[in-house]
Amino acid sequence: MSEYFSNIIYGVKSFLTGMKLTLDHFNNKKERVATLQYPHEKWPIPERNIGFDHAEYNLIRSRLHVDIDDCISCMQCEKFCPVDCIKIDFIKPPKDSDVDCGITSNDTQKKMIVSRFTIDMSECMYCNLCVFPCPEECIYMVGGPNAEKHEIDYEFSQYKRDGMIFEFADATDDMIRDAGGDKWLEQRDAKLKKNSEGVELMGIVPEATPVQVAAPVLETGTAAAKPVTAVKPLGGEFDIKSLNGIADKMCRGIAKKAFMAAKRAGKDTTAILADVAQALSDAGKMTEDIQSILDGLSAPSPEAVTPVVETEGATKAESVAEVPPTTEVKEFDIKDLNVIEDKMARGTAKKAFLAAKRSGEDKVEAVRKALGDAGKLDVAAEKLLNSFTSAAAEPSQPTAVEKTAEPTEEAAAESLAASEPAEDLPLFEIAELNGIDDKMTRGMAKKIYMAGKRADKSRTEVIADLRAGLTEAGKLDDATAAILNNLESGN
Amino acid sequence: MTSIVDSLVKSFSSFNLDIAVLLPVITLIGGTVIFLIMAVNALIAVYFERKISAFMQDRLGPMEVGIFGFKGGKKFWGGIGQTLADAIKLLVKEDILPNNADKFLMILAPFIIFTGAFLTFIGLPFAQNIVISDFNIGIFYIFAMSSIGVIGVILAGWSSNNKWSLYGSMRAAAQIISYEIPIGLSLLLVVLVAGSLHLGDIVQWQADHRWFIFHSPFTFLAFFIFYISTIAETNRTPFDIPEAESELVAGWMTEYSGFRWALFFLSEYANMLIVSIVASIVFLGGWLSPLQIFNIFPDSWLILDGPAIGLFWVLFKAVILIFIMMWFRWTFPRLRVDQLMYLCWKVFIPFALANLFLVSLWELIF
Repeated sequence: MSEYFSNIIYGVKSFLTGMKLTLDHFNNKKERVATLQYPHEKWPIPERNIGFDHAEYNLIRSRLHVDIDDCISCMQCEKFCPVDCIKIDFIKPPKDSDVDCGITSNDTQKKMIVSRFTIDMSECMYCNLCVFPCPEECIYMVGGPNAEKHEIDYEFSQYKRDGMIFEFADATDDMIRDAGGDKWLEQRDAKLKKNSEGVELMGIVPEATPVQVAAPVLETGTAAAKPVTAVKPLGGEFDIKSLNGIADKMCRGIAKKAFMAAKRAGKDTTAILADVAQALSDAGKMTEDIQSILDGLSAPSPEAVTPVVETEGATKAESVAEVPPTTEVKEFDIKDLNVIEDKMARGTAKKAFLAAKRSGEDKVEAVRKALGDAGKLDVAAEKLLNSFTSAAAEPSQPTAVEKTAEPTEEAAAESLAASEPAEDLPLFEIAELNGIDDKMTRGMAKKIYMAGKRADKSRTEVIADLRAGLTEAGKLDDATAAILNNLESGN
Repeated sequence: MTSIVDSLVKSFSSFNLDIAVLLPVITLIGGTVIFLIMAVNALIAVYFERKISAFMQDRLGPMEVGIFGFKGGKKFWGGIGQTLADAIKLLVKEDILPNNADKFLMILAPFIIFTGAFLTFIGLPFAQNIVISDFNIGIFYIFAMSSIGVIGVILAGWSSNNKWSLYGSMRAAAQIISYEIPIGLSLLLVVLVAGSLHLGDIVQWQADHRWFIFHSPFTFLAFFIFYISTIAETNRTPFDIPEAESELVAGWMTEYSGFRWALFFLSEYANMLIVSIVASIVFLGGWLSPLQIFNIFPDSWLILDGPAIGLFWVLFKAVILIFIMMWFRWTFPRLRVDQLMYLCWKVFIPFALANLFLVSLWELIF
């Protein structure tokens, strides 16, 4: 009998325990919720997915991409495509016209204007056969070994099937007309009109007028083409990896998403940062840490570059003198010129760049001169070139200072070493942290180290971070503290 | 207590209509009101069920569907149009009847279940004067009508010609019939004290004395016996062995689709509302305000206790009870068949019988 009642009491108790647990979850919803609302929120994609570097992949078949500036419309890819998903139209300017079709990265003079370059990714079977014949290597699968040319595209799903047709040609109607493509334009417009008439026949409300039918195609075209042109100038100082400093996974995802959207829309750095900040505060995820990261990124690019160079110049006192001066100009790449909007000017600039590269002259000056002669040196181009001259000029100043101070260099270096011993040591290796016994602590420390390394922090800063992080987690025991002290003193 | 039918007859009497015309009109109006209540209740309750279950499981639940582009925010009201879309989908679905099923019975069964729930609403007061028809044996009528559904369950299981359906309906029959005993015994205890089967009188007794849940330790216990038994009666988890989706696909509903299945769904949630309202009327003071219990509020607050606000209090109490039902569902695992029977026959019925005896003594002494 007593067992009967004790059973009932036990039952009621466990009953209440269970109810309390679920109510607890019902209340504390926000932090615990595991759902990620996929198309609206995305997990950030890890930089390395299965432990290989991108370059180590043979190929990642994610999406075809065309660097249209490099395309010479040789039609090889179209011919090789087994499923005929590539369609190319081109306009050949008449012989006596002075239309410059531009020049490719491989220094080939283009002879034709690509008026249409569409790839239907819903038909593509990812055989990669179009990539091999391309003489200019301008068609490729994004990501993997090509990650430097174009970021991998994991997801390009669309709500309509038309969205899978990617238009890469970026020639405007004016350019086509200049090159004598009036007939082609007529044909295209007639075709679009016919399509829209067909849509009307189906009884669908004629919201898709010819112009609007053309619009999505052009839009996808610009959207697909923009990243190549608009993103590259940002590459140096502000790219998506700059956002890796954001610790929280969700926030990072939101920030990266906003970044990519703004980048595709062809916005400049400030606008992108504003977008990112907006997206984060909309999601209620804006914290002081993130704000400070964004503030750090929003500093104008030349200033953002120079302090780093200066500190490096100061810390690596001895090494700077040995660095050959040419490396400073190295940052100025032919791809940087893609930012120039006007096609003609871009062609001229590229030509001048290559000429200067061959003859070993100062490329920036050569490009500036060529553009000036052609009367194409507008504000944007001027700004671009200035950014390179300042970036190139800044590092040369410390070297100049160094050279004048050469006699006292060793003494200065010694005094520096004496006053701030950690300052002039390079960042220690991650293996140094293996001395930490506890597995958890080691893992945590390595995580902090990697975060610091990615943010280009100095040795002292990383060590300070490690101390702070480990103390916070209550893992900073005597042995670990000793290891950190050793690292700080440079042993 | 005047019922809606009474007041309708009164207001239509000025038209001098023949009673043969008047009655169908009034019946139609009452029926439409009940059907609307059932439909709206199912829509809201299903939405809440999904959201509450999601939150308890650290999910978000429906978050995509709005009504005409209006989405109610980023948290609880995020997918406000989901159940509406589901209902429309259900109604346009293909109606499937298995070849070897007993077609007549299979079509009939959901309507019997629906009628059971529908008829119960006739005698169910939502507030002092908001009741379709005011029976003087109200609680007896509700108790009787809510048991009709089990006939439909057995018919549905048998006519489907499917072993899962048959298992499910057999379990349902055993369960519902068993749990009617503790429900009846605990209601009997209230009737015994209040001395009336009329729901208005029962609430009036509570207004004069105190709520039945606080009347004595025995009625306190009786409330829990009643509440848990009604959860079993409505086939909800942890007593959902008749439809046990991990064992019996969907029990007696396995072979149903589209509109007929929607009727089952409608009845299930209507039954939840019915038992919650009955529990709140019989044990929790019905349309009486909880402020009345603590005699400390100034008179101006008693406006919260007027007849106008009665509907609010009944629904408020019912919604809390429905929430607890959903809370149970997402907390406890399903009982085994023998555990279910043990709980009923070896725990609830002895306690309910003892209660009945002891509360009679209590009434004699005090």
